[in-house]
Amino acid sequence: MKRDLQKAGIDSNLRLWLLVGIAGYLLLPWYGLEDFWTLGWVISFPLFSSDNPSGLFLISQGDSLWILPSLLTFLLSGFAFRLPRANPSYSRLLMITGLSTLILVVTQGLSIGIRGWTTGWLGELFGSLDARQYGMGYGGLIFTVAALMIFCHGLASRPRKGADLFVTGAIGLVTAVVSVFVFFPIFIMLMSAFRTEDGGGSLLLFFQRLVEQKLWQVDCLVGAGPCGVAINSFLLAVSVGVITTVLGLCFALIIVRTGFRFNKILRALSVVPIITPPFVIGLAIILLFGLSGAVTTTVAEWLGLNPTRWVYGFTGVLIAQTLAFTPIAFLVLIGVVESVSPSLEEAAQTLRADRWTSFKTVTLPLIRPGLANAFLLGFIESMADFGNPLVLGGNLDVLSTEIFFAIVGAQYDQSGAAILATILLGFTLLAFYFQRFWLGKKSYVTVTGKGDSGIPIQLPKRVAIPAISIVSLWTVFTFVVYGMILYGSVVELWGVNNTLTFKHYITAFGLDWKDGIIWSGAAWDSFWTTMMISVTAAPFTAAVGLLTAYLLTRQKFHGQNAFEFGTMLSFAIPGTVIGVSYILAFNVPPIEITGTGLILVISFIFRNMPVGVRAGIASMTQIDKSLDESSATLGASTWATLRHVIMPLLKSATVAALVYSFVRAMTAISAVIFLVSAEYDMATSYIIGRVENNDYGLAIAYSTTLIVVMLLAILLLQFLVGRTKIGRRHAELESI
Amino acid sequence: MSQVIKTNAADVRFEGVSKIYGKDAVAVGDIDLTVEAGTLATLLGPSGCGKTTTLRMIAGLELPTAGRIFVGGEDVTDLPATQRDIAMVFQSYALFPHMSVQENIAYGLVNSGMDRDEIAERTLSGMDLVGLKGFEKRLPSELSGGQQQRVAVARAIVLEPQVLLFDEPLSNLDAKLRRQVREEIRELQIGLGLTVVYVTHDQEEALAVSDKIVVMDKAKIAQIGTPVDLYDRPNSVFVADFIGEANILGCDVLSRGESESSVRIDNYQFTVGNVVPEDREPRLAVRPRNIALSSESNPDVLSGTVKKVSYVGSHYEYTIVGTFGEVFAIEDTTSPLKPEGSEVFITFKGRGSCLVPS
Amino acid sequence: MKKVLLAVSVAALAHTAQAATLNLYCSAQEDWCQLMSKTFEEKTGINVKMQRKSSGETFAQIRAESANPKGDVWWGGTGDPHLQAAEEKLTAPYVSPMRGELQDWAISQAKSAGDRTIGIYSGALGYGYNADLLKKNNLPAPSCWKDLLKPEFKGHVQIANPNSSGTAYTTLATMMQLFGEGGGFDYMKGLHKNVNQYTKSGSAPIKASARGESTVGIVFMHDAVKQAVSGFPIKVVAPCEGTGYEIGSMSIIDGARNMDSAKKFYDWALSADAQSLALQVKAFQVPSNKGSKTSPSAPNLASIKLIDYDFKKYGSSAERKRLLKKWDDDVSTLPQ
Repeated sequence: MKRDLQKAGIDSNLRLWLLVGIAGYLLLPWYGLEDFWTLGWVISFPLFSSDNPSGLFLISQGDSLWILPSLLTFLLSGFAFRLPRANPSYSRLLMITGLSTLILVVTQGLSIGIRGWTTGWLGELFGSLDARQYGMGYGGLIFTVAALMIFCHGLASRPRKGADLFVTGAIGLVTAVVSVFVFFPIFIMLMSAFRTEDGGGSLLLFFQRLVEQKLWQVDCLVGAGPCGVAINSFLLAVSVGVITTVLGLCFALIIVRTGFRFNKILRALSVVPIITPPFVIGLAIILLFGLSGAVTTTVAEWLGLNPTRWVYGFTGVLIAQTLAFTPIAFLVLIGVVESVSPSLEEAAQTLRADRWTSFKTVTLPLIRPGLANAFLLGFIESMADFGNPLVLGGNLDVLSTEIFFAIVGAQYDQSGAAILATILLGFTLLAFYFQRFWLGKKSYVTVTGKGDSGIPIQLPKRVAIPAISIVSLWTVFTFVVYGMILYGSVVELWGVNNTLTFKHYITAFGLDWKDGIIWSGAAWDSFWTTMMISVTAAPFTAAVGLLTAYLLTRQKFHGQNAFEFGTMLSFAIPGTVIGVSYILAFNVPPIEITGTGLILVISFIFRNMPVGVRAGIASMTQIDKSLDESSATLGASTWATLRHVIMPLLKSATVAALVYSFVRAMTAISAVIFLVSAEYDMATSYIIGRVENNDYGLAIAYSTTLIVVMLLAILLLQFLVGRTKIGRRHAELESI
Repeated sequence: MSQVIKTNAADVRFEGVSKIYGKDAVAVGDIDLTVEAGTLATLLGPSGCGKTTTLRMIAGLELPTAGRIFVGGEDVTDLPATQRDIAMVFQSYALFPHMSVQENIAYGLVNSGMDRDEIAERTLSGMDLVGLKGFEKRLPSELSGGQQQRVAVARAIVLEPQVLLFDEPLSNLDAKLRRQVREEIRELQIGLGLTVVYVTHDQEEALAVSDKIVVMDKAKIAQIGTPVDLYDRPNSVFVADFIGEANILGCDVLSRGESESSVRIDNYQFTVGNVVPEDREPRLAVRPRNIALSSESNPDVLSGTVKKVSYVGSHYEYTIVGTFGEVFAIEDTTSPLKPEGSEVFITFKGRGSCLVPS
Repeated sequence: MKKVLLAVSVAALAHTAQAATLNLYCSAQEDWCQLMSKTFEEKTGINVKMQRKSSGETFAQIRAESANPKGDVWWGGTGDPHLQAAEEKLTAPYVSPMRGELQDWAISQAKSAGDRTIGIYSGALGYGYNADLLKKNNLPAPSCWKDLLKPEFKGHVQIANPNSSGTAYTTLATMMQLFGEGGGFDYMKGLHKNVNQYTKSGSAPIKASARGESTVGIVFMHDAVKQAVSGFPIKVVAPCEGTGYEIGSMSIIDGARNMDSAKKFYDWALSADAQSLALQVKAFQVPSNKGSKTSPSAPNLASIKLIDYDFKKYGSSAERKRLLKKWDDDVSTLPQ
């Protein structure tokens, strides 16, 4: 009985996607002529409307006839119903029709734009074309997705491959969206690396510029002048990666494994830097350590020296980035440290290992995936960060700022930017493979299907004492930095006129009453936009990220490594490049979404997805595969297993992904600068505007408000998602 | 026994099934096998012999590289695990750590789309069946190993699967519990009339519970038979040694009958109850318990010297050396002790020995 | 109920879609941009969608969007990117009826760009210094460009990198015109010895000076005035040798979707009324309309020795590339 149901399910799935595709073609407007979110087309039912015509209506009018072939190939897949499922032709037919529909849709979309043919040679080949087309709308989109699903259906039903419909569909969908929203824009952007000034292309010039000595010189290592941009970035990123990982580990260990009195505060505090809008930490550090900074002048006076600009350069950027990115390492590591199975440590202790030895030989090796991921994230974040080097870099040039100014600077040098971006990408690749190599093929499974009744061991004193010292020092430092920030928001003019005032908050978030609330503050518009976009982006980000992590750890398929790399790619590219490449790629058909809120949401999803992926992978490698298998033998579909077994065990990772993507969307700046529009202005770009205006009070007041809002949101999220009770006993934690 | 949980037992058939990983790592090589409905068959063999892979192919967790698999006469070769009417008890139990006992047991029922009352009823009787009433709300980590094991069993049988699979279910239990649980499994299997395929590397466990044992070695089936068949008539040195230790001795076959052979070692001439083809050089397999020792001199039997003797409560264990090599023998403590260094005379009891091809 | 709501909101959306709109790219300071768009909205009823970005960013965006322009008017920001956009024909030529009311420098700039851009305000280059720091370090108060070359100013001067900043490029071009190419580069080399940091953004040096992170910042004078007015101890200097200037410009984007609204805005933005709004937001540039009101705090262009800045030559891509390459090779690589 069970099996018949399933068989019917497969056919009904095919029928569903066929109907969806036809509906998209028949009923929904093929082109997106208005903003994606507005529903103006509903008024005039599209089937009969020439304003927002459906695909079928277009064809019946003799317009856009190039979309007809895709409909025909799509309909051909209906013949699959006449074939038995076991017949290889069944899957072959679906694969061929699905794929050719996709190819047809994409080809026509890319070759015909709003000004006819998109490239000259097409015009030469086919003669000039008067017709034009706009970006895809709901109809085109849904039709394309349906074609993709039919192709995946074909793949899944190949006999003797044991492929699962859900898994194949998920792989297809993730591959498709990653290709469209990561590979495609970056490809467009990188193509310009080969472009010469006269508009031609040259491989030789590309290589010449790639290995230019100016980028790679290592003079600073021997004290003979500045290093190349590439070397600067690399050294900085490695230092930041190592330091944030160590600090993150300290935080995680102390919180999970000690009875440290201030654990709760620590946990909250460690997250604060991540929710701080860019530039703010940098400004605070200047006020502390700059030439006229409080610390610098005090120390200089004390020692009888002249104050210097010591903080500008490598040191300052390192401090700021460490402050900013340690929380990321912490978020990754806490999940991993929490899920180390206590009984393994107990086993080590019974094998005559003292606390320190069992920590060193069991705990530490088991959290290697976490360490590797934390380092990778710190490394990449540092590579891509451009706010802190901008404020604190002094004469230290790094790749990200160079890329930014190659594009927005006085010299509009897109190909120069593309070359720097290529180098940056190369470093990321390196880090990625280094991580793979280090982890090797070892197994790090620690949550097995057997209930674990061990008690987590206490941190050995040898680790606990230095860790607590480092963290305490760090905590004090963070307190001082944030004290400065808070203080800055309630004084007239930061650093000059220290009269206390609330005027900045009132200017930004004032409310009036006159027949209801009037949002009179200057910041409300951008604030609500930011909230809306962040709240929309976060769940999608987490979902795509965790789904990808699931596919990577639990399924085997061809091209898995390429798939993994593709999902990490967007993270490695600085937002600036993403911003420009998005404009280049998505300002024209077939996907025309610049100026909408959608492009912001999409850019956040794909920029922040890698964190979800890493967090998911790190946690998922610790869940025994027999749990999936037993769920399968108990009749659960892959989807049900994911929902009922994997997801509940991944709550830590889910929270991490949700929090991170929400917060990143709230605080991101680099890509946003290019993608905001009049209607969708974001808080950060507004704040930057205030900073540029030397209006620090307002900027910091706004930032402080954002910090508070994000803290509340995180608490709410943690409360909503909750923690999974898997019944581990907790030690009576001794206090230190 | 419970009225609620019934059986849908079906037979399992393998036709030329192989599983090859990568290019040439053969995990299972060309196996034919039938497990009749309502019986318990054991896959027995040393680690890495392919028994677990075979089991996983029945479950649908691995798909065979070649050959067909039938359950209840239907070809299920290409069906994934979810779509097969099969349940499995994992070595690690694979209980969902975040679900209570009740939720774990109900999990499969929920997936089959049953209505709520039926799920509740079945879950309850499942727990009753394995004696876990009153533990509904516990989490797996709050149960002992034996209780966890029962949850895993209950979770599988409430689904009334066509075939129930066990992957070394007792390996995490202590010896006493192991005997008790294996008896319970056998009782359940007989009581409900289930078809069970059971993987173990413990021959005693296999002999105790099975209707039929499939001995596997190096990705192949070494021998299939009832416990008695395998113990008394192993078809190879490997099977003879793997199922209850055996002494393997060189011998001369004097004559071959229909079902008997006349055999000689040194001066000792005797009859064994089986025949081995001429082209395969025969060896003699003798169980330790089937060796009779005597202190009385007899020129027509084997003689040797006691090298070592140990007292283990119910019996003595002897190591004896002679011209034939070394043999290991067991004798009840009711017979007199033969001290170390003394000369003994050896005969083989009744059907206690057989020929195996080498 | 829900259906009614949906219908109402859909109707509202459909309605707004039909009202006249203007997509304004604004590269001046935020509050000025806001004020301009709000006032224009009130005056004409045209719905303004304003987006503020620096001139470099806006130029990059317009260039990226050139296949399918989203903006209508680009208002504000230094003239160079406007001229570059004109050179690349990213902006459209338009001769406004308001031309007659404008200063000569605005009209000559428009002519040099083939009417694709026009001056709306101008600001002279200069520098500012932090009076407190100057005293602390016992430095003499500078008043000329050459004063900044004195050895005691070593490590006290901040200027932007001309590769990334239009302000710094204007400085470079000014020196070429003041001292000739040879003398100009000698000046930049001398300055290089005293520079503590080449910032990325043009106005960053004076902000650093305001916060006490550097003594001198070379910027446009109105930026320095702004810091002084905000309460920072900044003194503004108009160098004695004379100085170059920028023209804040406005262009209509080629292929604008709302051409009528764009032209309406263009004409209005050149009027004395519109340009007088600058005073409300403490923008101390000199307006291009002869009739607009000016601030007493604003640097008086009449009292400053302005050079005859050659926008056509120094605004062209080729000359810019050549000078920047020379600066890169000959100046930036020198030891400090």
